[in-house]
Formats: sequence, C-alpha cells, structure tokens
Amino acid sequence: MELIETNIHEIKIRIGNVFRYLHGYKEYINKLNVFPVPDGDTGLNMTLTIQGALANMPDYKGKPITMGEYLKVFAEQMLMSSRGCSGVILALYCKGITEIIGQNDFSSDNLFKAFENGYKKAYEGTENPKEGTILTIMYEFKEKFGELMKEETDALVNIRKCIPYLKTVLDKTPDMLPVLKQAGVVDSGGAGFIILLEGIDREIKKSKNVQTNFPFPGILKITRNIRKFLAVKSSKFKTIVPGLHVTIRSDKLQNTRLNNIIEDINQFINSIKNNGSHFPRRKEIVNNLKDMEEVWTPKFKQRYCLEFVLKSDKLSTQNEMKAILDHESDNLIILKSDSTFKVHIHTNKPDLILKEVSRYGEFIFTKVDDMKEQHQNFISEDRIDYEREKCVFCLVAGEGFKAILKNLGADEVYCYRGIKPSVKILVKELNRLKSKNIIATADDKDILMALKSAASLSKSNVHIIETNNVFAIINLVMSISNDYDITDISGLIINQPKDIRYCGISRAVRNTKTTNGNPVKEGDFFCVFNNEIMFADKDPETVIIESIKNFINTDSLVTLFKGIHAKNNKNILSRLTRTFPGISFEEYYGGQYQYYYYINFEH
Amino acid sequence: MKKEILIITSDNLGLKKEQFDYPSLEIIKCPVYINGKEYRESDHEYTANWLIEKYLKENIVAKSSSILQGDLIDIIEKNKDKYSLVIHVLMSHGVSAATTLVAENVKKIYRDVIPILNIDTRQTSLGIGLVLLKIIEIIKQHDHIDDILRLADEAIRNTYSVFVMHDLNYLFKSGRIGKARALMGSVLRIIPLVGISGEDKEGLVVPIGKARTFMQANDKIIEFIHNKMLEKSVVKVQYIVNSLGYGDNLDAVSDLSNKIKESVPYEKMITGQPHLVEAVYYGPKSYSISINI
Repeated sequence: MELIETNIHEIKIRIGNVFRYLHGYKEYINKLNVFPVPDGDTGLNMTLTIQGALANMPDYKGKPITMGEYLKVFAEQMLMSSRGCSGVILALYCKGITEIIGQNDFSSDNLFKAFENGYKKAYEGTENPKEGTILTIMYEFKEKFGELMKEETDALVNIRKCIPYLKTVLDKTPDMLPVLKQAGVVDSGGAGFIILLEGIDREIKKSKNVQTNFPFPGILKITRNIRKFLAVKSSKFKTIVPGLHVTIRSDKLQNTRLNNIIEDINQFINSIKNNGSHFPRRKEIVNNLKDMEEVWTPKFKQRYCLEFVLKSDKLSTQNEMKAILDHESDNLIILKSDSTFKVHIHTNKPDLILKEVSRYGEFIFTKVDDMKEQHQNFISEDRIDYEREKCVFCLVAGEGFKAILKNLGADEVYCYRGIKPSVKILVKELNRLKSKNIIATADDKDILMALKSAASLSKSNVHIIETNNVFAIINLVMSISNDYDITDISGLIINQPKDIRYCGISRAVRNTKTTNGNPVKEGDFFCVFNNEIMFADKDPETVIIESIKNFINTDSLVTLFKGIHAKNNKNILSRLTRTFPGISFEEYYGGQYQYYYYINFEH
Repeated sequence: MKKEILIITSDNLGLKKEQFDYPSLEIIKCPVYINGKEYRESDHEYTANWLIEKYLKENIVAKSSSILQGDLIDIIEKNKDKYSLVIHVLMSHGVSAATTLVAENVKKIYRDVIPILNIDTRQTSLGIGLVLLKIIEIIKQHDHIDDILRLADEAIRNTYSVFVMHDLNYLFKSGRIGKARALMGSVLRIIPLVGISGEDKEGLVVPIGKARTFMQANDKIIEFIHNKMLEKSVVKVQYIVNSLGYGDNLDAVSDLSNKIKESVPYEKMITGQPHLVEAVYYGPKSYSISINI
C-alpha cells in the first residue's frame, strides 16, 4: 500500500485529533499521578511525548511513504521525544506495535501480534515492572482484543469494545498496587492509555466527553480538615454536629478512598446525632486519613528524574549502558535505536551520571527534573491570583526580535540576550505572568527543554509550542488571532510549519573548517545552515550574497535580521536588490548575540 | 401573480452588471472624490485601474461617499409604476451607516407608493455582489416576501469575504477600517488580511490574519475557507467570487486561483471585476475573495 500525500495529511489529522483528545485530559491525568512518585506530571509527559513526535516528523511532501512506514517513523520520534516513565513506556509500546505493522498488514491477526509486541517491548524495557500500572492495562488490552477477535473481525470495533473492559481493570489497579489504594486513585498512566484508546475510538465515532477532577491540594486540605474535626473533644461534638453533613460530590472528587472516608464521616455524624458521642471507628478514620496523606507526601529515595539521549559508538548493548549507570538509582528504562540510547532514570546523582556517561559518546539532549520540587508544587496550596485567562509568552535572544514580537501581538516576551535562562528563572517568569493559561515558546531547543521542566513546576497551565528558531515564533504569533480559544489551541501545537528556511552568518573565534573541509580562519565570517558551516569569507557581504545564491528557492522575500554586533553595519539592501532582481529584500534589527545576521527565506 | 421586482444596489459590489442574469437591476454609481473633484465610474476613462495608477504615480488621496439620496430617488421615481416591489441590496451598515440611513429615508418617503425592502448584506465589495447573485436566485424561485427575506438572511449568514491588502492606509483613510485597525503599525512589514462575515451582526471589517508574502496570504485564505467549511459541515462551497485585483499583482492572484482549484471543492466560481469606488478602499496590489457556503 503506497500512500499519496493526501493520505499522509489524513494520518496527520487523525493523530493530531487523538493528541487533542489526550491533551484535553492532561490535567486530569496529572492529578491521578502518585506512582512511581507523586509529581503530578503523567499527563504532561504523555502529551509532550506525542507532541514532540508530531513536531519532529519529517515533511513527506511529494515523497511516497506507506502508512506502516510513517507510523514506524512516528514511533521512533516518540522515543526520541519521550519524557517521564509514562512517556517512555508509551513510546516503547508504540515502537513495538510499529515493528509489526510497519509492513502494512492491518488485519486483526496482525494487529493482535502488534499489541502483543508493544506490550512485550514496554514490559521488557521497564527495569522493575509493576502490576497495577499502564503495563497491566496494555496487557489486558491485548488479551481482550485477542478474545474479541475470535468473534469479530473488525479491529476498530474490537478496540472500541475493549475500552469499557479496560476501565473495569483500571478501577482494580488500586487492588494491585497498594500505593494507589492508599492514595485513593487509579493508575494515572493506565488512565492516560485508556484515554488514548478513547481518542482513537472517537476518531471512529466522533464523540466527545471531557472530564475534569478535583485539584489535588484540595484533597489534602479535605483530609487535614477532617482530621482536625475528628480531633475535637467528644463532648463538643453534640454542639457542632446538629445540621452538619458532609456533601462533597464523589464524581467531582475522583478519589475512591476519600469517598469512602467521607461516607464513614457521615456515618460518624449520624451516629453522634443518634447515640451521643460514641463512635468506635473514630480512630480508624484518623489513621486512614494519616495513611492517605503519607502516600501523597512521601520521602523521596531518588530526587531527580534524569533523561538523556546519547549517541555512542563505544556502547553496543543496553546492558553495557546499564552497567555504567548508578546502581542506587531506580525506575531505569534504557532504549536503543542504532547507535542512539535513550535513558530514563530516577537518581540522586544526575551530574555524576551525566559525567560518567559522557565518556561513552555525545549527548543529543539531557533533562533533569527535580521531582521533590515538582511534588512540592503539586501538593502546595499556593495560589496565583490570576490576572488574565491566557497569554502568549515567548523567549528570544534579541531585543529587536522582542520588539517585533510584542508589536505582532505576543503578550510577554523575555529577552535572554546571550544567557540562556535556568529552569528556576523560567518558573519565576511563568508565575510572574499571573495567567491561568500560558502558550509558551522559545527560539532555542535547550530553552524549550528547560521550559518543559518549568511547566511542571508552574501553577499555570502551560502549553508549550515546539519551535526552535525565532522565525517559527514570528510565524506562530502571526497566526494567533486576538480572540483565540485557549481550550482549542492543540491545533497550534500540531500545525507548526516545518519548512521555515533560514541561515545565520557568524564570525569565527578560532580556526576551523567548513563541512566540506575548507578552512575557516579566525575572524572570518561564515554561514551556518541546518547546523552545518557552509562557507566562509573575510567580507560579511560576500558571505551574505553567497548564502542567498545557495539557499534561495522559489522564494519571493528575503529578510535580513541584524544581530547586536552588526547593529551599525551599513545597509546592503540596495546591493542585494541589484544582485537579485525580482526578489524583495527587507532588513530589520533582531539584536541576536550569536549571529551577525540571520537571513530568512520566504515563498 | 408573480411580483415584478426591481433590484437596486450600488457599484461597490465587485461584479459588473452583465454578470447578473437579471434585467431589472439598477446599479448606482458611488461618487469618488480626488482633490475635491467628484468622479463617477465610466466605461473607459474612470476605472479602478485608472485610480490605482493615479495612486502610484501622483500620491493622491481619494475618498468616496455613500450613495446620494437624490440618485436613489431618481431611480425609484423612474421605475415606481413598472414594479410592485423594490429590493435595495445594501453595503454593510457597519461599514457605511450613511448608506443605510439614505436607504431607510427613501423607504419612508415612498412607503405609500411602493414597498421597498432594504437588505443589509453585512458585506462589502465582492461580498455584496455575491449576496446579490443569491438574492436573484431566490426571487426567481420564490414570490412571497417572507420567503425572500428568510432565504436572503440565510445566504447573508453564509457569506464571507477576505481582502488581502498591501497597505491598510487606503482603508483607514476611507474610514472603513473598523476593527482591522489592530493590524496597522507593525514593526515587521506584514500583509494584512481583513474580512467581513455575514454572521457578524455588527457587519464590521475585522482582522483575519497576517502574512509576510502574498503566497502565505493565499495559504491563509485557503485555511480560512477550509475552517468555514468545517464549521458549517459542508464538503463543497456553493459560490466563489474571486477578484483579479487591479492587474498589478497577477502572480498572487493566479497563485490563489490555482490553490482554490487544487484544494477547495466548489459549485460555481465567478471572476470579479472591481469598480472605481472599490479601488479607493483597497489600493494597489490588493485582491479579494468572497465565498457562499
């Protein structure tokens, strides 16, 4: 089966719709997150894993590709973009599936094999797999699917039929994993997985049902207040109790244990009303509450969630990688694709691990989340007095770009000049915005990674848009209308253009070479295109003209953005207009630090 | 007995008289003022292209006014005994309140002589032409005033126009800018896309988007049409009226035509022809499109 471009478009839309559906439940899933650590980011990690894949998928415009091949590449991208335990396990599962359906056999039999392989990959990739987690739901899914396919050949119908069954399994996860029972919730990863299946089913039948749940700090507050209430002397109950009835809607609470406790409290109140102050189960309720609070506020054995992608020629197996990682760490997941390793680990020594691992290859990306801090944020009752419902927040390197973006409609622009902001600064900035929802983006991949970590520490609902250059941000801000609907911004997340073309002109601080091996002397100007040094010259104008000659396509507009070091350079537009008749040229001040000029090419 | 209906409109409708299959149609020419002198469109001399050339060569400021009450009365006087109903198809009240006022005055003056239905298209330029095409279809099939009004309202609610403007100053100076003012004064040069929607009760010109190049602007128009089709759950656009602009931006106009043909299913497409008065608002390199879904 060969796919033409329109079908790729269709698949993108379908995956985008499933992502949108999951995105709508992000906060709900976050608030169920108690295992392996209650850091409230399962929903965020699952959505960022898929979002990263959507953003990094190659543009297959005009190139034939089969659906199986496309999905295979998508699963690879999920692995590379995966975040957190749940994100990595989900990516592993999808990789396992696409290993089987990559050959484009979508029959029920083959899909069953795919689900089986997906589960196998996810299970084997998890260092210490536990029952009652997303793995259990994945297992039950393939079992139920296998059972149903004996009677029904339509795979999509069978996926739909699996969902109610999986919900009953999800309800039983607290019986399988004690920490869930103690916390009064079902497994967050498992819930996220079922929501994904629902998203797929919704693509089939187009129904919608967005669920919300009670904020977690509210649950802790309720438990503490109930304990306070139960600590009152028995003799005083008689005066407090008349007229008292605890009425919290259990469907809002979404916490089975707390629901049971509240039922007990009502029994207690009735008992006092009827029998005076005698209620034998009072101590039991108090202990129950204490136990529940302890689960949500644990002592952290490992404080940091470390993730990295390493390209290595020195390591050939996952076991070799495992051998060099800290043995006191836990939640270890190691993935390997060709010479690239993706590692997720919980540890107290992220710096040591990174230093050790760096001896074996080159990092493509690293990320360290402080789970203790995330947890503090998750359980804290701190509130921000939101002053606005939504805002667009951009991080850029230059003051010129800041002015351009503000003028185009960005609400807040942070200019980091030459110094990339830390996660701590980003959290401070996000909180300073006092906005309930924030659309956040940055012109640099490292800052984007830091933003993702900061998002889990912010009190606002942060939606990160995967841009990695300032032109993508300009494009984004230009595409946001004044009256955009914050509940439907997943389109923005998904539909970022991939064909933004630009190059940078920088100056060599030491002798080096171009990608082709030509020498670049210290002080020369050189052109960087797609992270490669293309050519160099002493004269910046020569490099600019050479760059335009090389990279111009069918473009009608070429825009130069001067960096801070080129602010006072003479205007070369007239020379360019003479050299390239028929092309429009514009020049602005961008104020970027690293590049003397950015040259942007537009159709 | 079928009603004999006279339709009156003004010439800021993006289409020429011969493009309407309806003989009882009177098009009032809007006055255009350049340096205090009044001009009305003529077949060969005072055309849209003539004004665009003047804009480019002479740096002039042109203005227009709403239709003159006297012009409207002349037409009604001339025709009141030949017809049993007059339908006056008007530019959006949000764009020109004065036009609505003139039409309502004349309606009052003739209330005992001939019934006049003033239909606010909540459109301007091509959008008026498109609504008029729909009204002609309606009156050919329906005789009852209530049916005509109901179906015309439905047609209006399903009509959208997008204008690609090279320079918003022309719209600003003509006093028609509405909420599109928000697109003015950008540090980065942008090509503003403004629009008017029949669904908008205020009937104002509003910002639709921003682009850096005309090709990007065209992509946004296609996206706009697709979104409207999705909103209205239709797989085909009924009518597209596509303006050629003023002959000074043919690459962009032809790119838009190609993109429409490639990606927008439609029943009918008509090529619009701008009048002198429309050139006043839009200025050089502009072009537009109206759709009825």
